[in-house]
Parts: sequence; C-alpha cells; structure tokens
Amino acid sequence: MQTPNRHDLLEILTRHFIWVVLVFTVVVFGLTIKGYLGLANIANILITGSVLGVMVIGQSLCLMARKLDLSAEGTVSLVAVVAAWLMLPYRETDLAQAGGLGVELDPLIVIPLILALGALIGFVNGFMIMKLNMNFFIVTLAMQLVLRGLALAISEGAIMPGTPAAFNWLGGGRIAGIPVSVIATIGLYLVFGFVMSRMQFGRKVYAVGANEDAARASGFSPARTVILVYTASGFLAALAGWMLLGRLETSVPNLGIGLTLNVVAAAVIGGVSLKGGEGSIIGAFAGVLFLAMVNNALNLMNVDPLWVNAVRGLIILVALIIDAQKTRYAGRAGPSAPTRTVVGDADQNAAVS
Amino acid sequence: MAETRALARSDMTLLDMRGISKSYPGVQALQDADFSVRRGEIHGLVGKNGAGKSTLMGVLMGIRAADSGTIAIEGETLHHASPQIMIDAGISYVPQHINLLNTLTVAENILVGNLPKNRFGLVDWQAVNDDSQARLSRLGLKLDVRQPVEGLSVAERTMLAIAKALFNDARLIILDEPTAALSRVDIDLLFGFVRAQQEQGVAFIYISHHLEEVFEICDRVTVMRDGQIVGTRAISEINVADLIHMMVGGGVKEYGRESAAGHEVVFEVQDLSRRGAYEHVSFVLRRGEVIGISGLQGSGADELAQGLFGLERMGVGEVTIAGEVYRPGSPKSAFEAGVAYLPQDRHRYGLVQLRSVRENVTYSVLDRLVGRLGVLMRQDEQAITEEYIDKLGIVTPGPEQRTLLLSGGNQQKVVFAKLAATQPAVLILHEPSQGVDVQAKVDIFNIINDLSRQGVAIMIISSEVRELIGLCDRILVMYEGRITNEFSRAADDMLPEDILLAIEGGPGDADA
Ligand SMILES: Nc1ncnc2c1ncn2[C@@H]1O[C@H](COP(=O)(O)OP(=O)(O)OP(=O)(O)O)[C@@H](O)[C@H]1O
Ligand SMILES: [Mg+2]
Repeated sequence: MQTPNRHDLLEILTRHFIWVVLVFTVVVFGLTIKGYLGLANIANILITGSVLGVMVIGQSLCLMARKLDLSAEGTVSLVAVVAAWLMLPYRETDLAQAGGLGVELDPLIVIPLILALGALIGFVNGFMIMKLNMNFFIVTLAMQLVLRGLALAISEGAIMPGTPAAFNWLGGGRIAGIPVSVIATIGLYLVFGFVMSRMQFGRKVYAVGANEDAARASGFSPARTVILVYTASGFLAALAGWMLLGRLETSVPNLGIGLTLNVVAAAVIGGVSLKGGEGSIIGAFAGVLFLAMVNNALNLMNVDPLWVNAVRGLIILVALIIDAQKTRYAGRAGPSAPTRTVVGDADQNAAVS
Repeated sequence: MAETRALARSDMTLLDMRGISKSYPGVQALQDADFSVRRGEIHGLVGKNGAGKSTLMGVLMGIRAADSGTIAIEGETLHHASPQIMIDAGISYVPQHINLLNTLTVAENILVGNLPKNRFGLVDWQAVNDDSQARLSRLGLKLDVRQPVEGLSVAERTMLAIAKALFNDARLIILDEPTAALSRVDIDLLFGFVRAQQEQGVAFIYISHHLEEVFEICDRVTVMRDGQIVGTRAISEINVADLIHMMVGGGVKEYGRESAAGHEVVFEVQDLSRRGAYEHVSFVLRRGEVIGISGLQGSGADELAQGLFGLERMGVGEVTIAGEVYRPGSPKSAFEAGVAYLPQDRHRYGLVQLRSVRENVTYSVLDRLVGRLGVLMRQDEQAITEEYIDKLGIVTPGPEQRTLLLSGGNQQKVVFAKLAATQPAVLILHEPSQGVDVQAKVDIFNIINDLSRQGVAIMIISSEVRELIGLCDRILVMYEGRITNEFSRAADDMLPEDILLAIEGGPGDADA
C-alpha cells in the first residue's frame, strides 16, 4: 500500500505533466536548433513570453473561478491606444500615422490611469455577470468588440509611434542586463502564486469555481469573489498592454488581436482546468514557458506562417484532450471508466441508468 | 407472505464474484473479495463508511476496473465487464443519486431512446403515455406518467428507476442506500414494491446503514470491512449486535444524551410564513437545547431550514437571535449572525468536491485562520483538519485527498466537520446522519451533545424519528406547512408511535 503503484505514477504524471513536457521540449529544441539555448535566444523567449505570461495570470484566475475573459485582448489594445493618445503630441493623421490628443500627459500619470481603466473594465464585466446575471461568454465577447471599436475610433485606425522612454521602461528596459518585463512577470507569478495557494482570496476563488452553491452555503460571496477576479484580470490585461506598447514603442490599433486563444491555451496546458476549481499559478507559468518556447522554435525554424497556425491549433487541441482526460482520470472512477457528466462521489460515479 | 418469499427464493447462484481486488492511490479499496447472490433473493451488503461497498458494486457494473478477480453470472465467467454488458446480462444499478431526466415526464423517461412514432415519423404522444402507463401498471406502480420527474418524491423516483431496470429485463438490481433520507411511509411503499418484484423472481442487492431495515427486508447479509468480505449470513441466523460486531470488529461506543437545555432563549421564531412553503411557524430554541423537527416531504420542514439559513427567502414574520432581529439575506449573513447549517443536499450545497478534505473542513472558519495580510495559517488549518479526521473517524489517505474520492459517508462527515468547527450560537442540521455508518452516527451524536453542552442551540430536521427521540429535548412535527404537534422529554411524551402518527397528519393539537 505504501509503495507507489500504477495509479500513483499515473496520478503524478498527469498532475505534473507539463513539467515533463517542458524538459522534453528544452532537450529536443536544444539539440536540434542551433543557438536555441544561447543567451540571446533565451532572453528573446522570455521577453515575448512575458506579455503572454501576464495575461495568463488573469485568465487563469477567471478559469479557476469557472469563467472566461474574452475581453482581455480588447483591453490590451484599448489601453495601448489610450496611453499613446494621451502622451504623444498632436499631429494631423497622414499615411496611416497619427499623433496624440495633444495633452502630452506625463507617463507617470498615464500609467496609473490605464491600469485603473483596465481594472474598471474588469469590474464592469464582473458586475454584469454576477449582479445582472448575464452570461460570461457573451458579456466578455461583446466587451472585446466594444473595446476594440473604441481603440479603432480613437486612433482612427492609424499607428501612433514614439512613446516616451519612461513609459517604455517596463516593456523594453533592462536592469543589470535582465529585461525589466521578465523580472516583473516573474514577480507577478510569485505574488499571485502565493495569493492563490496561501491566502483567503485564492481559497474562495477555487471554491466558487468548483461549486458555486456550496461556496455560498459555506458563507462565501460568489459575486464578490468573481467581480474581484475579473477586476484583477482587467488590471493585468492593462499591465500587459503597457508592457507590450513599451516594447513596440508604437501603438497599433489592433494590438493583441488573437491573443486570447494563446492565453487560454497556455493556462490549460499548464493544468488550469476549463471546468473550474483546479490548477495552479505555477503550472500556468510552465504552460507559458512551453508555448513561448514553441512559438520561438517555429520562428527560428522558418516555418511557413500558414503552418504555424496549424501547429498552434494542434497544441491547443492536445492540451484540451489532456484536460478532459485529467478530470476523467481523477474521476472519478479509475482509468478505464467511461467519461461521465456527473461530478459525483464514489456512489454517484457508479450511476449507470 | 413467508411462503411466497420462500418459494421465490432459490439456492441457484445468480452472481458469483471471486477474488476481486482494487486499489486507488493510498487505498486498498477491495482485497480479494468473494461475493455471491442467489436468484430471487434480497441480499444485504453492509459495512462501515469506506468499507468498499460502492466500489465492489462499481466493479460489478463494469464502471471501475478491478485489478484482479473474476465475475460469473449463472455459472458463466464474463471476460469483459462494461456497463452495457452488465445491463445486457440483466444487472442494473440504482445509485443513491438517481439519474433520471428530471425535466422530462415519467413516460418519456421510461421510453427514452425508443419513443413510438406515428405514420408521419413524429412522436406519437398518445402511444407514449398509454404504453408507459400500461408498463407501470403491470408492475403495480401507480404514477401519473404525464408528470415531470422533478415532481416525484425520492421514493417514487427510486421505484421508477427500479421499474426502468425491470423493463430492461433486469434479474438483479442493486440499490445503493435507497432509504438514506426516506420517511417511514415512503420506506414502506418502497419495500412493498421491492418485495412484489422479488416474488416475480428478481434479486436485489440492498446497501444500507439502517440495520433494522436490513433485518426487515433481506434474506441474507454480507458484511465488508476494510475492503475485505468478513462473511455472509442468513438473516435468521444473526442478530443486530453480532452484525455490528462483524462490521466494526468490536463493540460500538455508546452515546447517552444529557440534556443541557438552559432557560435563556437564544433563537425565537414568531409567526413566520412563506407562501407555498410554511405558515405561521413559531417556536423558541433555548441555550443548549436540542430540538427536532420532522415531517413528510413537502411538510415545509426542509424549506424552513433553508429559509432560516438564508439559502432561500425567509418570508414574513420575525426571527430574533439573543433578542436581536435576524434576517439573513445570504448564508454569509447567517454565519455572521451565528447560525450554521448542515445541508441535506450534500452534492449541491455541502461539499466542494474537487477540493481537498483540508480545504472543505476549514471553509467555514477561514476568517479565524487568517493571519496578517490575509495569509492563511497553515498549521492551524492542519490542526483543525486532523482533529476532525480523528474525532469523526474520516477514512481518507490524508487531509489533501480530494473529497470527491471519499466514500459517501465519509463525505458526509467532512461536511459535518465543517460546521462543527464553527462556533455558532444556533446550529441547524438537516438529516445529519444520512449515509453514515453505525459508529460514525454515534460519534456525530456525541459531538451534537458536546456542542449543546457548550451552549449551542441545535435544531435537527430529520426523518429518523428514533434518532430524534434519542437526541432531542423536544420534537416538533410539521404537517402541510404548519407545526401541528410538540412532544417533549420533560412531558415524557416522546413516543415513536405518536410521533409517527402526527407526522402522517394524525390527530394533532394545533395549539403547539
Ligand atoms: N476513485 C477513487 N479514488 C480514490 N479512492 C477511492 C475512489 N473511490 C473510492 N475510493 C476509496 O475506496 C474506499 C472504499 O470506498 P467505497 O465508496 O466503496 O466505500 P463504501 O463502503 O461505499 O462507503 P459508504 O458507506 O461511505 O458509501 C474508500 O476509502 C474510498 O475513499
Ligand atoms: Mg458507498
């Protein structure tokens, strides 16, 4: 009974699957792609991974609460446009280039402003979902359209180049040679990892995501918890927007388009379940590393962009298959059990009729 | 009656399971278990929580893969087991939480998958209803086939599930704790139906923690302990004490109620009504007092409990706690006012199944476990969890096990632990002993006693009248939304017959 048997091994493997995959990926790419493990390339992977990484934290919180935030990529594009618009000098729009509003606000004012804007957007999402009983999928999808529309309207569809250096520090700066974005992202993972595993808030998020009724009957307030989750997600999306704009130094109105699928994929690959109540921030981090490494490898291997999408899609599908299997295994009834929709106790799993 | 039962019974072996073993991470759920059932018998399967009863049945139904062992039906060894193979072989499982299509009608549930069609290829509803009504009457079951399943009582649903199995030509039907929350009336109804089917030659496996019922309805009984079969006995050859001895491997700890009821009124309900649920309900609960509330399904007792905890609207009327007005808008505000509630529906309101035993036990006391800056104090959490695992004898490989992997009774203990850990002024318990074994029941009763001695006012809603009599200072009976009778230890009138009569709406003293 004490020696691990087949099930223990299986359980350990499914639980830490992503780390096994990660090591495997490093070895394979390291051996097959020249310069893959060079310092410059590693930095590259981490820098591109950091925007993704920040967004994955917010999305993971939503998934853990059995929700989804499709509006986050809209927030990225809106805050980037708003930030550029408030900071850049006025100029006539020409050749698809635009200037700012002309107020030329200081980055130190603009940064808190856009972070607050992101949090506000998240709060509104959460409020509509929990207080007005609206469907989270549609709410956040519609919100994404609204935000993108606003971004296009403000920028008139043009790019706004030349954001100030103080603003660009987060996305492009370095401390002792290490990119600030990477340090910040790792810091955020440590903070949120701690919040989710060791603090009351994290405990509530998992409970609400796994069984909202029982969470309520345990004295939690699902509405408050979920609204906070969306507020955090909006805040983090704004932070990611700041980071991305800082790196590009140019606001592009459709910034971040199509990011959502990657973000959800990274979280799911990292073991955050779409069915709520499960997964860890550290696992999501591993998912981000994996996806960033694969994207980078596809780049280095000069894979036809058409194929890149196919490969990405495939990875996401595989991740979803694993997600489905994992819950089935933990299920509830042993490896050979048929999949069931009932999440039940030992008695209930045996339901056949 | 006795003759027909003897006639229907035969010594021919229907099912023979040999050497079944099954392990889960950290648990040997079944170890070399041999189990056999004869044709047309009602075979009891008993054992403590986590003994392996449901797992054994899961293996039999092909839902869980055994590590080793064989299954033979009428002497023929099966080489594979899958739910379909087992259903084809005439074995059906009626789980405790019955899976029926709740929004569909009884008729649709019966004929689901092969609804009769008319000439135009459309469903012929007349035929659906007539056909299913005819099938039910052949079984002697009186149900309105046009009514949606969600409107049926638990007993009716169980009988409908049995009927469905019989339409699939079942020869052996497994009932996993079918009476866990049934009133005596419903139990009689169910047992009558089961016996009638037995006379037609159908065999049953009957899993229950209610040993009196095992003696009432079973022909033989098999006892499991720690994944092993302890033995099988004819019911006529054994008594309750021996059976318990076989189950727990020793005697059961006793419990005795010492009333701790004080004078000070803690909880007062005055003229509380909610349309469609209860009317003009008034009672007081004193410090350290334990009162029971009992009634049939639909009597309003269930709704009252949920209303008082803020899970549903409480309705109009006044409720006070220690003299202060109490109007819970949500369970959260109920907790804050010092009211805790053990829900009847464990799956929906009781447990967060994906999360661990530790997390579930401490949900209700999280506020006490936060240190500086909202960080949870891990050691205190661990200590509370271990204390209750120990106190209630929760069978789990450890505090980190997800609660969904525990056996049904152990899940119930986790929910109970969650509430016992709070220090409420008023504790509302809804069917607290459902699904727990004989020993655990005593442990839970002792904790109820301890809590009442510490001054907690306790209200128990239960269909187990005998348990209430042992536990309570007073018992209130509800009928059609009103409190119709009051029995008390002080007046020395807590007699089971009288209480049962009152529950069924017998002569009452409406002045209570
Ligand atoms: N899927 C699973 N994964 C891990 N352990 C499991 C699983 N299913 C059951 N167990 C364990 O196997 C043991 C036997 O459980 P089982 O459900 O068969 O008990 P039981 O006799 O039906 O108890 P109860 O009377 O409480 O329903 C328990 O210790 C339980 O925790
Ligand atoms: Mg069981």
